[in-house]
Amino acid sequence: MIQKQKLLLIIQREYLTRLKSKIFIVSTILAPLVMILLLVLPTMIQVLSGERDRQFMVYDETGTVGNELVANDSVYYRLTESLPEELRQSLIRGDIEGFLVIPHEILDGKGQASFYHGGTAGMTVTSRIRSDVQRIVRNIRLDRVDASQEVRTILADRVQMENLTISEEGEEEADSGFYMFLGFIMGFIIYGAMFGYGAVIMRSVMEEKTSRIVEVIASSVRPFELLMGKVTGVALLGLTQFVIWAVAGALLLMAAAPLVTIFMGGNGEAAQMAEASSEAAAFSVPAISPFLWIGFVLFFLLGFLVYSALFAAVGSAVDQESDSQQLQLPIIMLIIIPLMFLFPVSDDPSSTMAISLSMVPFFAPILMPVRMAVLSLPFWQVGGTILLMILTFVVLIWMSSRIYRTGILMYGKKASFKELWKWIREN
Amino acid sequence: MPGGYMNDPIVSFRDVSKQFDEHMAVDHVSFDVKSGRIFGLLGPNGAGKTTSIRMMTYILKPDTGSIEMFGQPVGPETQKKLGYLPEERGLYKKMKVGEQLVYLCRLRGLSRNEARERIRYWLERFGAYDWIGQEVGELSKGMQQKIQFVATIAHDPDCLIFDEPFSGLDPINSEMLKQAILELRDQGKTIFFATHRMEQVEQLCDDIALFNNGKLILHGDLSKIRSSYGHNSIRLRFSGDSKFLNDIENVRINNRSTNYAEIRLLDGADDQDILRRAQDHVRIHAFELVQPSIQEIFIDSVSK
Repeated sequence: MIQKQKLLLIIQREYLTRLKSKIFIVSTILAPLVMILLLVLPTMIQVLSGERDRQFMVYDETGTVGNELVANDSVYYRLTESLPEELRQSLIRGDIEGFLVIPHEILDGKGQASFYHGGTAGMTVTSRIRSDVQRIVRNIRLDRVDASQEVRTILADRVQMENLTISEEGEEEADSGFYMFLGFIMGFIIYGAMFGYGAVIMRSVMEEKTSRIVEVIASSVRPFELLMGKVTGVALLGLTQFVIWAVAGALLLMAAAPLVTIFMGGNGEAAQMAEASSEAAAFSVPAISPFLWIGFVLFFLLGFLVYSALFAAVGSAVDQESDSQQLQLPIIMLIIIPLMFLFPVSDDPSSTMAISLSMVPFFAPILMPVRMAVLSLPFWQVGGTILLMILTFVVLIWMSSRIYRTGILMYGKKASFKELWKWIREN
Repeated sequence: MPGGYMNDPIVSFRDVSKQFDEHMAVDHVSFDVKSGRIFGLLGPNGAGKTTSIRMMTYILKPDTGSIEMFGQPVGPETQKKLGYLPEERGLYKKMKVGEQLVYLCRLRGLSRNEARERIRYWLERFGAYDWIGQEVGELSKGMQQKIQFVATIAHDPDCLIFDEPFSGLDPINSEMLKQAILELRDQGKTIFFATHRMEQVEQLCDDIALFNNGKLILHGDLSKIRSSYGHNSIRLRFSGDSKFLNDIENVRINNRSTNYAEIRLLDGADDQDILRRAQDHVRIHAFELVQPSIQEIFIDSVSK
């Protein structure tokens, strides 16, 4: 029954007019920039605030530990003869940032070092001082008992643990931290895209209604064709945007990888080198399976289709955006609910709760990619969910086109849920 | 095109009904429309004109009955032969005039090149070709109305439907539209014309259908309908106090103003008697025995 040629014309118009629009160009460029900024900003702030020269006074009763600390970093640590009570006063006055008291008995494995500071010192500072003191105290104590090199190595050694994921293709090394992060990002991108493109559909329906062109169009094509054309056109637009981002992202990663290595490898000292290289390993991108990419795009598309059918119905039932709030509310709830389950689901992606939530067609677009990122899922879950979503879309677009067909001809009044239900049942 | 469908009805409504909730918007309506005529759908707001049109344009489907156009049931095929100017008008504001017109023509089945050619012709005809690259939203209201009109007729439809075409038009565009409608009729196109302003259509319509509360109360050739009523109305132009009109019995007075009245003679009223009484009270500038106006015919039909 659908007239292909007209449908193609509508798809073409919906796609091309938007592709050329300023909003599309601006959002294509801005969205990844904002995303990168959100990811990089915290690190940058940390790095920038870390640049500040900090110095802590060291009151040392052992006579050795303090020297070692200063030898290690003479800017960070400074020995002082002042008594703790005096240091306390100057800390209160704000003359110094903090001080460290190293008691005599610490070399006997008793007592404890104390780190005094104003306000909060920050995690990085505290953990650095703790590890510096620990390393030095341990070395001195080992020296005292003439420990062999062997013992020292044993002590310094960390137990290595591999993290392996077994899938049908075999086993692969996995960094679950990275994959969890990746899943989150994918979930958030889909979340944003469903809102963004849903709003595009809703506005577009509303624009046709308020500009009154819809009746002219409706005298040439069936409302269902117009709706399908619109949804398809905007879906293609979304895909285009994703492709642009993916290509740009891949190019950026290729360019950035060597830079990261250079940047990380830049510090001379051996200890930091080791640390840096392990950090660099965390930063280098582990292989992302093509299934995950396909799943991501597929769930984005299906999610878009399901939600755009809903948004289109809302758009056709109101005259202006401010009236749409009430009708939009249930849709927004449906999109937000899976966000609340993002953490529990990615933490234990095989739990019954995670499986069932991620298979609900309205939640799947966000939760499925998150699970797919951390786990290789059995086929029935992915395939079944895709099937469910397709069914949901077919039912929704049918209901929506019935609301749409009546809604586009109704001016000047805001429809209630009850009326929408009536429009669906009308023949 | 003239001659093609000359004798067969272009459009026929067969016992068509459409109900919204409890309200019968169109109530068992039947009529035929022949080609090359201007057909007026008349009646007050809410009488069922727009609903009838929406069923003709296949936007709505009748609950019962059937509508045929060019000998086939209305549907996607008949839509291609239609030009429709809805009461609520509008275009895509962000789209350029040319792109938009091409899009609308192609939706009605024209090829891109055909569409371009026709659009060029009509835009030039209305002195609007220079706007082809501008966004519709940038144009003045009058300009937009011209573009809308071109959008309605550019695909050369055999049947044109105008719903309240003159509402919101300035006098210049109004006259332009009137001339274009007459020209299209002379080319053999069938033109539908819905309005609640009945005096507007007297000069334009060949046939009329009068609607009230969803029912078709009268339809047919306008001049025949009028002559069937005979010269039973008076047009009186005068100056002076019009109070005497209130005392005349067995008449119905329409379109009354300070110096004009249309007086419909009912049973027992005598035109010469009215002339004498008018003479006693006011200065008479014109006194003419005429056929009733459409409005009078409408009121007469409703009251029956």
